[in-house]
Amino acid sequence: MTPTTQPRFVRADGPDKVTGSGRYTADLTLTGMLAAKFRYADVSHARITKLDTTAALAIPGVFAVLTAADVPDVHFGPFVADRTLFARDVVRFEGEVVAAVAAITPEVAQRAADAIVVEYEALPVITDIEDALGAGSPLVHTGWSDYGAADPVVRDRNDASFSSITKGDVDAGLAEADHIVESRYVADGCHAAPIEPRAVLAQWEGDKVTIWTSTQVPFDARAGVCETLELPANRVRIIVAHLGGGFGGKCGFHYEAHVAALAKATKRPVRLLFSRREEFLAPDRRREGMVIDITTGVRNDGTITARKAWIAIDNGAYTADAGFFPQLAAMHVAGPYKIPNVHVDAHLVYTNHQPSGSVRAPTAPQTCWALESHTDEVAAAVGMDPVAFRRLNAVDTGAVGPSGQTYGEIGVQQCIEEATKLVGYGQTLPDDEAIGVAIGWWPSFAVPSGAYLKLDGDGSGQIITGAQECGTGAVMTLRQLAADELGMDPENFELVYQDTSVAPYDMGATGSQTLFNNGRAVVAAAGQVAEQLRKLAAEFLEAAPGDIVLADGHAHVAGSPSSTVSIAELAGIAAGGELLIGHGSGAPPAAPPLAGSSCVGDLGMASFVAPQFSCHAVRVRLDRDTGVVRVLEVGAAHDSGTIINELGALGQVEGGVMMGVGQALTEGTQYDDQGRQRNAGLLEYKLQTCADTPVIRTHFVQINTPDAGPRGAKGLAEAPNVATAAAISNALAKLVGKPVRRLPMTAERVWEAMQS
Amino acid sequence: MSFTIATSIEDALAALAAGARPVAGGSDLVVGARHGKAPLPDSIVAIDRLSELSTITLTDDGLRIGALATHAAMMLDATIVASYSALADASALVGSPATRNVGTLGGNVMNASPAMDTGAPLLVFGAMVELRSTSGTRSVSLPDLWVGPGSTSAAADELCIALVLAKRPARSGSAYVRLEYRRAMEIAVVGAAASVTLNDDGTAGHVAVALTAVAPTIVAVGGLDAALIGRPVDEDTLAAVARAAAEQSAPISDLRASDSYRRHCVGVMARRAVEAAGRRAGGEAIAIPVNRAYGIGASR
Ligand SMILES: Cc1cc2nc3c(=O)[nH]c(=O)nc-3n(C[C@H](O)[C@H](O)[C@H](O)COP(=O)(O)OP(=O)(O)OC[C@H]3O[C@@H](n4cnc5c(N)ncnc54)[C@H](O)[C@@H]3O)c2cc1C
Repeated sequence: MTPTTQPRFVRADGPDKVTGSGRYTADLTLTGMLAAKFRYADVSHARITKLDTTAALAIPGVFAVLTAADVPDVHFGPFVADRTLFARDVVRFEGEVVAAVAAITPEVAQRAADAIVVEYEALPVITDIEDALGAGSPLVHTGWSDYGAADPVVRDRNDASFSSITKGDVDAGLAEADHIVESRYVADGCHAAPIEPRAVLAQWEGDKVTIWTSTQVPFDARAGVCETLELPANRVRIIVAHLGGGFGGKCGFHYEAHVAALAKATKRPVRLLFSRREEFLAPDRRREGMVIDITTGVRNDGTITARKAWIAIDNGAYTADAGFFPQLAAMHVAGPYKIPNVHVDAHLVYTNHQPSGSVRAPTAPQTCWALESHTDEVAAAVGMDPVAFRRLNAVDTGAVGPSGQTYGEIGVQQCIEEATKLVGYGQTLPDDEAIGVAIGWWPSFAVPSGAYLKLDGDGSGQIITGAQECGTGAVMTLRQLAADELGMDPENFELVYQDTSVAPYDMGATGSQTLFNNGRAVVAAAGQVAEQLRKLAAEFLEAAPGDIVLADGHAHVAGSPSSTVSIAELAGIAAGGELLIGHGSGAPPAAPPLAGSSCVGDLGMASFVAPQFSCHAVRVRLDRDTGVVRVLEVGAAHDSGTIINELGALGQVEGGVMMGVGQALTEGTQYDDQGRQRNAGLLEYKLQTCADTPVIRTHFVQINTPDAGPRGAKGLAEAPNVATAAAISNALAKLVGKPVRRLPMTAERVWEAMQS
Repeated sequence: MSFTIATSIEDALAALAAGARPVAGGSDLVVGARHGKAPLPDSIVAIDRLSELSTITLTDDGLRIGALATHAAMMLDATIVASYSALADASALVGSPATRNVGTLGGNVMNASPAMDTGAPLLVFGAMVELRSTSGTRSVSLPDLWVGPGSTSAAADELCIALVLAKRPARSGSAYVRLEYRRAMEIAVVGAAASVTLNDDGTAGHVAVALTAVAPTIVAVGGLDAALIGRPVDEDTLAAVARAAAEQSAPISDLRASDSYRRHCVGVMARRAVEAAGRRAGGEAIAIPVNRAYGIGASR
């Protein structure tokens, strides 16, 4: 087995995407296809007193108008079953779907949606997460004790999910400290903002439905359709065309069932295409706003004695997949530090905002921003250089982390060293420039996954995987793993993917898990075929199977390279007998044990499997007259284990950094006092552009990680998004003279901080 | 709904007389309609093929820029870059390469947004708008043209033919500076253009400043000549400019900025514009757009 580490990695989907021959969901049309449009609540909290679709149905060209009355009465949601396909009695955020229309054109469908009569009785709108936790606050869900929920969920007024970490004795720890630093940081919500607004197309044949949808998680989407429309899994097929980005925004189950229900009602294929505005307002996948209070005790010598923190996370109106956010946020506010005494409480709070959901490294960038800005304040309190302070307190190989996990070999210290080197930390800079440094971490998610692999008679192969390619290149990398296992070329393999009726289960492009888990499955599947090939070759070359080596497209006998046969020839032989088919899954690694801490609301995230570490060091320039900040240079060092595909990995880091720059400086949702988004579009929601891109230098710290994925790889898709905003904040604080305690740190907020 | 393509100015004027609205690059009209700002007009005449309207000509009277000149053309035109630098600065900041290649000067001027970028430069150059209809041609000053946000004094059947900019005196320089939160696809939060003519002794002979996005239309800052003539373009002068600009602005609070931040920043922009214009007047070459050179939301 010779690894074919290629200098340049050519994405199998690249030429299709670049030349335009690739098809996205919005490019698909079917004969007789109708257009879908939704009628949204438009108000943030109200009781429906009248819902009349008569006028809409009377419009020529309208085929169906559906409301809650037309679908099974099912509540769903991965942590709390608080959601229904269509609003029932009460609407709880502006983007909630009240009704759906299918009509001959999008224009007619829109007119019909507008013609639906909905009358409301206003209910109090809950927008402030701290007020919502107060005893006197009105409730977003009055009857939620009746909803189904995952076991650790405690149903307490607007507190949708609560987690805590307790280790040691935090009060005693604070009493030992020479200095106590208290800070509050507040982060606005923001968006994943993928280029492709979502699209869904559904078609029934008999009692089976095929749904083409722009989702990151086809199997989740299928489960949602099955649950809400009460169908068995084998009658629902989800196919994803090329996906135009997701960044978490397309995780979860969204509108597949609405469109399937419309298609069923009209007996026609139906397609839903979102506008950019809908993409901002409706999906339950927005990055959560947060309030973060942190208190740290530190000795004069710089060692941290204790950390106490309180976090409130804006859940929005429904829990979606945010149930585990409190635990993740708790881990991130504790941080990758050796702290003997920890107490963290984190609350996920119902409001009448759009629901939050997993956007790239959920809770981490905001929490890391708060923690690492606070860490610089703590370092300043003892007069230590912030980098030296981190080197002293950060976890290390063999150290015990804040939740009681003892780490195997990890590279956080190397990350600090490399990132600071990349940008020349310590150099003399002009007085409007500074370098800030932050460290972050992120778990690898060990979950089940499966793959099939076959070689056809001509020796060309197919990998049939449930994995979803959301642009990271992770699925593309599977070819390389299979090829290495079989001594073949990655170009010999085609991928069959993004089709739930063809491939085994996969969790989807979420949790940075694709390569980590699918890699294991593909290697196992390829291993079975390798076994078959060795047996065939052994017969052909008259040798023992154990002596057969697969390399360079051939099988040869170890030690005698002239005794050889091509894999293509073996595949030809197999085609006339026992076919070359492998399948694999492999057991995911178990979570490492914890000692000396207790976690309430534990959803299994207090123990990080194959944890990833990062350090970002960022040089910024501040225009002191206006508060405008430019990020000039980013040094990003990552311990994500072995890097299998370097080009793809660099792309992940650069994209994550740019997303972090946006979150740091320009991307934030603004609400009116009625909980409605004021900047739901790309004109006023300011993403970063190519012209804003700084120089990004990346270094991968590659060390042996216990419990890692294939060849020692960990995840990488989310980690690069964790520490950038924090590092920018620390650079900025040096220039402003204090931290800017609101995220995004917009020019105006920076300017305001300079005034006070 | 009707859509026609004019092949001559006469064609276009006839269509306007019959009630059509002109579309040039469409980057305001069509994009605005898509965003629900205003529905597309029932009758549209495309004027983008009237190549005689896209010329930029230096005459004895000054510079005549056809209404269809694109931002991409203006930011590269040698005369504009050298003598009307503020307009090149502004054009170079518009949107993205795509926007600059379809967006026209006539569209920018007739759209009359208070955040338009070419407006402040045109105002400091004292530009006149040439409007033509089937009943004749007239020349209108910009303060007379812009009557409010998105609204002009032009009649519905009048086509903007050209902008005419007076000849530049010797020892003159100009600059346009805009506050930007990012380096592309940005809309002016505030901006300022300045034109400075120096006396032989290096003191200010004439100073004009106009402001973007701080009033219902692009506005000129009044009273500067009286305060500044005969004084060097120094720290005191610049501070006076910043004060005057901030005082004379009447900004609103919106999603992009609060009124107080805008008022502060428009002063900063005005001072920077005057400083750059003064340096250009003194013969210093500062690259287009001056924003980048000044490090405003950009690297130096
Ligand atoms: C992504 C994007 C970014 C942008 N960025 C900027 C920016 O940074 N700065 C900025 O100032 N603008 C910006 N704009 C706005 C727009 O591009 C400019 O205003 C552009 O100059 C408009 O020109 P146009 O030819 O496209 O106008 P059109 O959309 O064709 O027309 C605009 C209006 O003017 C009228 N009109 C056009 N030509 C004439 C004429 N000859 N006579 C009479 N009436 C006429 C039309 O009827 C319409 O009412 C941006 C637009 C987009 C879409």
